[in-house]
Amino acid sequence: METDIGCEMMKTLHLASIHRSLGAQFIEFAGWEMPLSYSSLAEEHLAVRQAVGLFDVSHMGEFRVSGREALNFLQSVTTNDVSKLEVLGSQYSAVTNERGGTKDDILIYRLAEDDFIVVCNASNVEKIGSWFAEKNRYNAKIENITMTTTLFALQGPKAISTLQRLTDFDLTQIKRFKAAWVDVAGIKALVSRTGYTGEDGVELFLFDEPISDPRRAEKLWKAILEAGRDYGIKPCGLGARDTLRLEAGLCLYGNELTEEISPLEARIDFAVKLDKGDFIGREALLEQKKTGLKKIRIGLRMLEPGIPRQGYEILKDGEKIGWVSSGTFSPLLKVGIAMGYAPPEIKTGEIVSIKIHGRERGAMVVGWPFYNPDQYGFKRK
Amino acid sequence: MGASEYEVREGLFYSKEHEWLKVEKGQVRVGITDYAQDKLGDVVYVELPVVGRKVKQIGEPKNRDMELGAVESVKAVSTVYSPISGTVKEVNSTLQERPEIINTSPYDEGWICVVVPEDLDKEIKTLMDAKAYSEYLKNLG
Repeated sequence: METDIGCEMMKTLHLASIHRSLGAQFIEFAGWEMPLSYSSLAEEHLAVRQAVGLFDVSHMGEFRVSGREALNFLQSVTTNDVSKLEVLGSQYSAVTNERGGTKDDILIYRLAEDDFIVVCNASNVEKIGSWFAEKNRYNAKIENITMTTTLFALQGPKAISTLQRLTDFDLTQIKRFKAAWVDVAGIKALVSRTGYTGEDGVELFLFDEPISDPRRAEKLWKAILEAGRDYGIKPCGLGARDTLRLEAGLCLYGNELTEEISPLEARIDFAVKLDKGDFIGREALLEQKKTGLKKIRIGLRMLEPGIPRQGYEILKDGEKIGWVSSGTFSPLLKVGIAMGYAPPEIKTGEIVSIKIHGRERGAMVVGWPFYNPDQYGFKRK
Repeated sequence: MGASEYEVREGLFYSKEHEWLKVEKGQVRVGITDYAQDKLGDVVYVELPVVGRKVKQIGEPKNRDMELGAVESVKAVSTVYSPISGTVKEVNSTLQERPEIINTSPYDEGWICVVVPEDLDKEIKTLMDAKAYSEYLKNLG
């Protein structure tokens, strides 16, 4: 469905009325009317860190890329090595411009040898659609399936056991960054062991879901909330999604990643394979590697009161050295945390200050995740 | 939540930016309204003004001289504007330890500061009383 492109109309989720009946407050995000929170942002956040939460993230963009040359095409427009991707595997990657700046960060799923799904940010669907069309020297078939795809994220230490109640398929067989076609509550979904919270969990795709008749999506949403009831499952909005990803140290496009920031500067090098062969932006990234990066992404934890926010200045000895790209009050750690950009000489443990409401407030340069990974997140013991 | 579901307290004066002002002997007490705290969500941090700070009454265009700090939830920052010109005499330092009392008690425990006004009689006429503020909230929808 292309009806919304170039038109002012706000896109609504398949399940908008269900979200409304659950008490959701909505905000506009990337042209979508999205649930911001249902009960309280902090409660939703903690439900995911301690038990389980369910997100409707159907605003995310999906492109189906298929055909004999699909692999070659994807290799040419992304930074990670798509040839290493097994069938029913997924891979975090980036789309870069000729200058090595980031056009988007994406997940690529391989459904079959020559059949892929690219999941991109809602804010970048149109940009990526035209970029792919422009760079498609390979005659790969590229379809924008965003409007007929439902995507839920079920996240938290109890996510797998919640979903297990709705299927006979042994979900523990799906390892991280792997996926499987699973019959969940009688509905066939692509279940992927991925997420954007730092926690264990899955993302569930329903394809070919018409907006006029979202029966399967409704049934699946309700079944999951019911299955997780005794764990205290909560429907979660974009507010909690943002604070969870920030605590985990995950990038948000538009904040940590932009056309002016390379994946190397953002320190997502694990998704950049400069030796895989040519791709758009490779030359520029090689050059950056050779001459050294001008700025790098850092984590910051407040030592003094105050909440760092996007755009605030980072100072060292009174001089501006960088900026905050995302900041919040961590609902888990109960302290202000941020990510930002600073010169590469900066070291973990160093003390800087952030200008908050006109006053300089001390912060420490830290790594991520911001929480103790033995205690929280998918690596917890 | 409809406008009538927010508490608007009789006897207080209100700004369009949802600050309230209570006239006390020779001074005024300032806070944010029930509507403002609800829109903001769970308050996690309050940036208090410095005692002795001179502030100007809110007007258009707004500027820093009209600011009495900020109230922040996880998701948003809300600047507190002064409903009156004067000098900050006292701040509610309990808010540093328990910012959530702005949510639970916006008109009592959750007051933000006390200001000694410069020209109370003149400036108070530019503020709304409880009835006018209730109407104002209704029109916000």
